[in-house]
Amino acid sequence: MVTDRYARQVLHWGTEKQKIIEESSLLIAGVGGLGATVSQLLVRAGVGRLCLVDDGHLDWPDLNRQTLYGENDVGKAKLPLAKERLNQINSATEIVELQGRIDETFQIPTAIDGVADCLDNYQSRFALYNSLATGTYFVHGGLDGDHGQVLTLLSGESQALDTVFAGAVQPQGSIPVTPDNAVIIAGLMVNELFSVLWKTPKLLNRCLVISLADFHIDFLDV
Amino acid sequence: MIQIQFFSLIRMLLKQDATEITWAEGDTVQSVLEKTQAEIATPFLHKLLDEKGKPYTGTIILVNRKNILHLQDLQTPVADEDVLAFFPPGAGG
Repeated sequence: MVTDRYARQVLHWGTEKQKIIEESSLLIAGVGGLGATVSQLLVRAGVGRLCLVDDGHLDWPDLNRQTLYGENDVGKAKLPLAKERLNQINSATEIVELQGRIDETFQIPTAIDGVADCLDNYQSRFALYNSLATGTYFVHGGLDGDHGQVLTLLSGESQALDTVFAGAVQPQGSIPVTPDNAVIIAGLMVNELFSVLWKTPKLLNRCLVISLADFHIDFLDV
Repeated sequence: MIQIQFFSLIRMLLKQDATEITWAEGDTVQSVLEKTQAEIATPFLHKLLDEKGKPYTGTIILVNRKNILHLQDLQTPVADEDVLAFFPPGAGG
């Protein structure tokens, strides 16, 4: 491994926090709008292992925000593409592919230090949260148009996701999603995931609500 | 006083992120909503409730961090100093 590839971030957060990142294992649920950027940034930072879950194939409307893919990928399954691209970015990160849709039968892998909810529907999100072992950190991200949110829950201690978001059902049709908003929410999720790995989450039971329309930031305690 | 917080598109619609409503004995989420509507110039109840007065799915309503669907829905009692929050979370990913 090139020894100075993390030099610029270690200048900021130091070797101890870098070591924690490199020894960590995270599950990324969905490698679409949020997950493509979340997984990419985590790999660039040197996370030890990423377990990716997805069952989708790339379509033209995905290309505006799904930063791991290009035109030649349309029609192909996202998961192997994501693994290939992430390996090209940083071969030191172990990438585990978990092909399939997350539902009530989903069984989460063992030895996971945290979960990134990069899914695009509440049914799967609720099933994912309910699959967690007690004491697992869960970083949720969601967006619509020019607003979005990030929230961290700790399974067994926080209210469950389907309790907090009870009544939140999937809108009919496609949800408006812009490139800038997807990348911004993904970046905020990664920032929080680092904090989770360092056991200092900033958004535990506290939903960060972003509106790009007027650059407004709110916190909703849950 | 009852603290009312508006998030995301509800905040954008109302052009304000919070207000206070005077508490009265017997207040519920329903009565607080009606009092809030009476004090705010911008109509917003149509964004939260359907023609039958039931909450739309899509906007969550919390009373002191608890979703009213796990309490008594719109008939959830509201006490003085309680905090009500209205939040339509983004569903996309």
